[in-house]
Amino acid sequence: MARLDIVQLTKQFGGVTAVDAAQFTVNDNEFMCILGPSGCGKSTLLRMVAGFEAPTSGDIRIDGETIAALPANKRPTAMVFQKYTLWPHMTVYDNIAFGLGLRRLSRSVIEQKVKEALELVSLSGYEARYPAQLSGGQQQRVALARAIVLEPKILLLDEPFSSLDAILRVRLREELKRIQRRLKITAIFVTHDQEEALSLADRIAVMSGGRIEQLDAPSTIYSTPSTLFVADFIGTMNLLQATAAGGELRVGDYRLPAPAGLKEGQVTVAIRPEDVVLGGEGTGWRGTVDQVMDLGHYRKIIAQIPGVGDVKIYLSKMPDVSEGAPITLNPQRWLVYQPDAALPLEYRRAGAVEAAV
Amino acid sequence: MTTQTLSPKTDSPRQWRQAAFAYLLVAPPLLLMLLLIFIPALQSIARTLTVDVDGQVGFSFSRYVAFFQDRISVSNLMFTFQVVFLTLATIFVVCFPLALYLRFAQGRLAAAVQILALFPLFVPGIILCYALIRFLGTRGTLETILNVVGVSGYRTPYLKPEAIIIGLVWESIPFTVLVLTAGLRQVNDSLIESARDVGANDWTIFRRIILPLIMRPVLIAFSLNFLGIFGAYTVPYLLGPAAPQMMGVFMQQTFGQYRRPDDAETQAVITFIICSLVGLLYVRTVAKQRIQQENE
Ligand SMILES: Nc1ncnc2c1ncn2[C@@H]1O[C@H](COP(=O)(O)OP(=O)(O)OP(=O)(O)O)[C@@H](O)[C@H]1O
Ligand SMILES: [Mg+2]
Repeated sequence: MARLDIVQLTKQFGGVTAVDAAQFTVNDNEFMCILGPSGCGKSTLLRMVAGFEAPTSGDIRIDGETIAALPANKRPTAMVFQKYTLWPHMTVYDNIAFGLGLRRLSRSVIEQKVKEALELVSLSGYEARYPAQLSGGQQQRVALARAIVLEPKILLLDEPFSSLDAILRVRLREELKRIQRRLKITAIFVTHDQEEALSLADRIAVMSGGRIEQLDAPSTIYSTPSTLFVADFIGTMNLLQATAAGGELRVGDYRLPAPAGLKEGQVTVAIRPEDVVLGGEGTGWRGTVDQVMDLGHYRKIIAQIPGVGDVKIYLSKMPDVSEGAPITLNPQRWLVYQPDAALPLEYRRAGAVEAAV
Repeated sequence: MTTQTLSPKTDSPRQWRQAAFAYLLVAPPLLLMLLLIFIPALQSIARTLTVDVDGQVGFSFSRYVAFFQDRISVSNLMFTFQVVFLTLATIFVVCFPLALYLRFAQGRLAAAVQILALFPLFVPGIILCYALIRFLGTRGTLETILNVVGVSGYRTPYLKPEAIIIGLVWESIPFTVLVLTAGLRQVNDSLIESARDVGANDWTIFRRIILPLIMRPVLIAFSLNFLGIFGAYTVPYLLGPAAPQMMGVFMQQTFGQYRRPDDAETQAVITFIICSLVGLLYVRTVAKQRIQQENE
């Protein structure tokens, strides 16, 4: 229901820069994920939006109006925390009604709203329970209900499902997405779980060391990570040292065609496991199978290529490969990261098909 | 789970042995308490409830009737209650902000305040009293300072009820601050932040979130301070007025100066009954806390 602008937002704790000049916009109804490793400043960024941390510099605007000077209790945002979120001395009903009561709504209006919120998170009938009588997943659903019942302009979620087990996490993730779509809430979801981010987000902001490395749709982040950090952090990636010279890339003893516009020098070649096929007589990379991991509907194989190193690939079905057997790899698509270029260059072999897995 | 922890099942031999061992461990202190405290106390209570008329011993409330008909006794009891409640109120007014500050502030100043708040713990009561007399008394430090800054007409609280309250509050600060701060540390930051997030201001957060969550530490501080203050002797004796007196001073005088051990005994039993009611509150609070912790 609103648009959020983060403008050159910086937060320093003593000498530590937790968030470094973050700048982005979350559009109306957009579901934005902030993804990054532990300590990269995700929570700090979110807490500045909520009003729990004062920015060192920069601005936060909702629908064009600055909220940076407002205290947390006056901001039109609502937050779902990671844990210890519900007030243990209040029932589910009172937890959800608390914020409504502060807004001096009539009792019948509050009752109606709490009822709807509980329906939304599929917890009707749990009004009289205390938090200690709920499972972890139910507690987080109540926390979500408590946040959305206030109809916030921006919903903020700081790893709300990270203390739950894997199956429940996936279920709640789907439920959250459904609720967000239905209510058309603008939301920021912080997580260090890339699967969660890739499956939930309209766009993902990948953070590292306080900086936003890339902000794009999940598919773009995955197919074209804009920095080496993102390439390494998202999904599985083979990162190989190479030398660019004479329109070619030298990777160990092998050569790959270089993308157009590549300058000569040391570069890093990034190849997704699914962008490698078997075979390629003559030019193929010859080595041995080091490990085979059966992951159900596909297999992950680590091949040892002398002069190149370990290369991970995915195989969906036959041919049968066993550990120690010879193998020949043929990369189909790769990205080249130059030390001084802002974006990577892509090369795709003619006739290369999109990977099936 | 609560029933199990309250009454351990002792059906298997191993459990029975364990239980027996536990009882063996607590037996010596229990016996000592029985011999030195409970039995003499019961004897005292029994004595206060009997009269000896020409060798004929009979049950009677006459000693209590006498106590409550005596104007001085009643006024001393009432005075004790007044001092206790005013002191308790002052303690919480002083200690809540201190504890909240210590819980939420960080840095050197907080560490210094922490040490200051604990300081009275290391000062014996008698030294505290003389220090307060020198500070608050006529021509004491406070009056001198006030004169220097041009404020005149200082009237010392020394030998007035206020001095008792000041002394007792001072003595109770460390314990109360410790208990309240420990309680506040149990209240997770995100519980407070979520309340602020949905629109609560500081006062609402304190009243609706923090206070209910630390009700037990508050009750513990209340009951233990009550017990300490109700039976206080040194501070009211050295700082307080000659009349009315708090029960501690009153008992000592009745016993030592007026040599009326029977009356002193009655006063002691009345004090004991009042204190055991408050003690019961403490025991209930602690027991409830234990049950809840085991359930969590
Ligand atoms: N109150 C604080 N005082 C000092 N430093 C802080 C404070 N809060 C965070 N930091 C520092 O700021 C950096 C970013 O912390 P933040 O909590 O935002 O990371 P995060 O990305 O949320 O990590 P996680 O995934 O572990 O939750 C860290 O180096 C952290 O130590
Ligand atoms: Mg965090």
